[in-house]
Amino acid sequence: MQRMQYRKVWIFTGAHNKNCKNENAGGDASGIPEKEGVHMGANIYKNKKPLLLFLLPAFAFMIVYLYYPFFKNIFDSFMQVKELGISGEVWNDPWYSNYVKLVQDKNIWTSLKNTVIMTLVTIVGQVGIALVLALMVDNIRRGAKIFRTMYFFPIVVSATALGLLFNLIFLYDKGMLNQILSALGKEGLTDWKEEKLALFTMMLPVMWQYVGFYFVIIVTGLNNISEELYEAAAIDGATKLKRIRYLTVPLLHNVLCTCVVLAVTGALKVFDLPWTMFPKGMPLKSTFLTGTYMYYQTMIVKDIDYGAAIAVMIVILGVILSKAVNTIFKEKDY
Amino acid sequence: MKKKIIAMILACTMVFSLAACGNKEQNTGGSSTKTEGEKEADKGAEEETGGVELEVVTTFAGNDGNAQNYKQWYQEWEKTTGNKVIDMSSTSSDTFKTRVVTDFETGSEPDVLFFFNGADANSFIEAGKVISIEEIRAEYPDYASNMDDGRIPVSLVDQKAYAVPVNGIWEALFVNTEILEAAGVAMPGADYTWEQFLADCQKIKDAGYTPIAAALGHIPHYWWEFAIFNHTSPENHLTIPESVTDEIGQEWVEGMEDIKELYEAGYFPENTLSATDDETFAMFTEGKAAFLLDGSWKVNGIVSACQSDPDDITTLDTEKLAKFDVTYVPAKEARKATDLLGGLTSGYYITKKAWDDPAKRAAAVDFVSFMTSNEAVPVFAQHGSSALNNVPEVDESAFNELQIKSLEMMAGCTSITGVVQDLFQGEARVPTFDGMPEIVTGAVNAADAVQEGLDIYWSAQ
Repeated sequence: MQRMQYRKVWIFTGAHNKNCKNENAGGDASGIPEKEGVHMGANIYKNKKPLLLFLLPAFAFMIVYLYYPFFKNIFDSFMQVKELGISGEVWNDPWYSNYVKLVQDKNIWTSLKNTVIMTLVTIVGQVGIALVLALMVDNIRRGAKIFRTMYFFPIVVSATALGLLFNLIFLYDKGMLNQILSALGKEGLTDWKEEKLALFTMMLPVMWQYVGFYFVIIVTGLNNISEELYEAAAIDGATKLKRIRYLTVPLLHNVLCTCVVLAVTGALKVFDLPWTMFPKGMPLKSTFLTGTYMYYQTMIVKDIDYGAAIAVMIVILGVILSKAVNTIFKEKDY
Repeated sequence: MKKKIIAMILACTMVFSLAACGNKEQNTGGSSTKTEGEKEADKGAEEETGGVELEVVTTFAGNDGNAQNYKQWYQEWEKTTGNKVIDMSSTSSDTFKTRVVTDFETGSEPDVLFFFNGADANSFIEAGKVISIEEIRAEYPDYASNMDDGRIPVSLVDQKAYAVPVNGIWEALFVNTEILEAAGVAMPGADYTWEQFLADCQKIKDAGYTPIAAALGHIPHYWWEFAIFNHTSPENHLTIPESVTDEIGQEWVEGMEDIKELYEAGYFPENTLSATDDETFAMFTEGKAAFLLDGSWKVNGIVSACQSDPDDITTLDTEKLAKFDVTYVPAKEARKATDLLGGLTSGYYITKKAWDDPAKRAAAVDFVSFMTSNEAVPVFAQHGSSALNNVPEVDESAFNELQIKSLEMMAGCTSITGVVQDLFQGEARVPTFDGMPEIVTGAVNAADAVQEGLDIYWSAQ
């Protein structure tokens, strides 16, 4: 009853303030005694200015450090930029020459191909393996927490540190993997970074690093599925595999969609680990991703405006892929 | 009420964050909020009592052989003057060079900089962001007076000297003598020829070792330079050809083809296209590769590799170190093996930012004078050259065996020429540096790669 009364007061006070903006608080025309909480609530919902004040710093930060550089980068991709940190003052001749170069540059096609492969590997290798692991962990009675922690752990290690770690694992001479193979009787050393194996060697650690991330998301999704559904299915005679096929996977649809969208957008941003393991697209420029190639052109070659054009291409690619993934893996309402 | 408190906390946080962002100038410069009179008063006080903070960037960091020396010497300067060095040094790399140049562009340059004096410095010299030695001497006549002016390198921009040099560098051929003995190869000397080198490489390969430690996919720089130098001469090595059709252009192409020949003969490591420089250096120090073409700074790298604790010289395995030697790079055509590459490629700059700050000007001059004094330079130069007027007697007892061998090798040197890659920078290098794997595997023709680089170079001039 008390609650109802407050509700009425709130509505009334709101209407009253709307009509009498300059009237001070301290009682209103209705004669209902004012309660402190009620009046404050009214002000908070009514007076939007303080909210704007708190939104402004973040907004200004975004403008200065994200949107301004973003549009400046598009502009710079048409200019001649000699050094990082200075603006281009002369237009390229022709102004779109970097984009012509982009189409003709075979390393761009290599990096695009590798990025697409990375995206597919991410979906299958990260989300797929995470799903399998989550299903297995969901079915064990003890130790689930240990597995969660262990699988999630690589996420908290910096990608650069992981790159150095995997460099030692895949090292040609005295690397861990080659030592194990030698101990097993293999003759000669395997160059895990040679042209044919380089992509595999690069993508394996990236895949491994993020499996735990999707694993935790999927496990959380599994916990939200009601146990009663499984019990009902078991009574109806469904085997464990059938329960997964007809219950778990369909009910995880939205969670999996979220994972796939995160995985695809994440794959487009991968940079530090591949660059640590394969600087300059080694060997023979065969391991460039769009991100590493942009960095290479900007920081190593110092073709700043061309690097800006590659950045624009990455944004466009990101928008297209995100849109495509959102369309294909649309979440369902249940 | 609670909401009000939260709002207050948020507002305070925001204010403090903004204040923190804007605090740097006050902490480091300290001059922006003072009047000129106050600054002058401060200057007098600081010259007497210290208290100046100098931001210094050098390449004496990480595994650089002089990193420890640098630390000891600037700490000594701090003790003597009461000033403070904010050391932001980093090992030299392409990223480091970019960072320094970008810092100048964005107004975040340090007060004192130890940096290269070739084309890398062009942008900030063109922008007038460092002070020439001549200008400094107008106010401080003794500045760098202990140096032979004729040996201080001048800028490519205006032929003025800006950087006070400390230690000269040289590039030569390091040798793992243990492998040479195992392969029945004699230690190369001052008359080492390319043909002898090829024959030695074959013997070493036949004995089951890798002849040359080099990561062509990562750092082909030294082989690139010497392969070209083998066809040019000390007189014209620093001339950049117009195209591959002129004489020097042809010589550049022949140099690239020499490297291809070595690669095809299998004298580089099997993974030379995918290995990093650290990996191939480890092959050399661990007795798997015989030759290493590198710079004088690698002497300390080899010494460190012979220590059980790389940071503790007392753990040096002298027996292991005795297996390493240094000699001349095999000669081809007009160049003599004793013609070396190197020079005084770096030095201390004083930036305009520090010069214009009355509180820092004297401190910056004093710091550079201290670090380039007659006492400091020999410590940094070791077995390399310097620009000192009066070169002190070398105390060989303080040197290890490889340093002494380096001194002996340098004693037989007939000339030291600068490296042309210091002039041939940026995108122009890409077709023959980063493109070296394509050249040696035949994916790209050497002449096409050289021409592409030259086209980029001349279009940027």
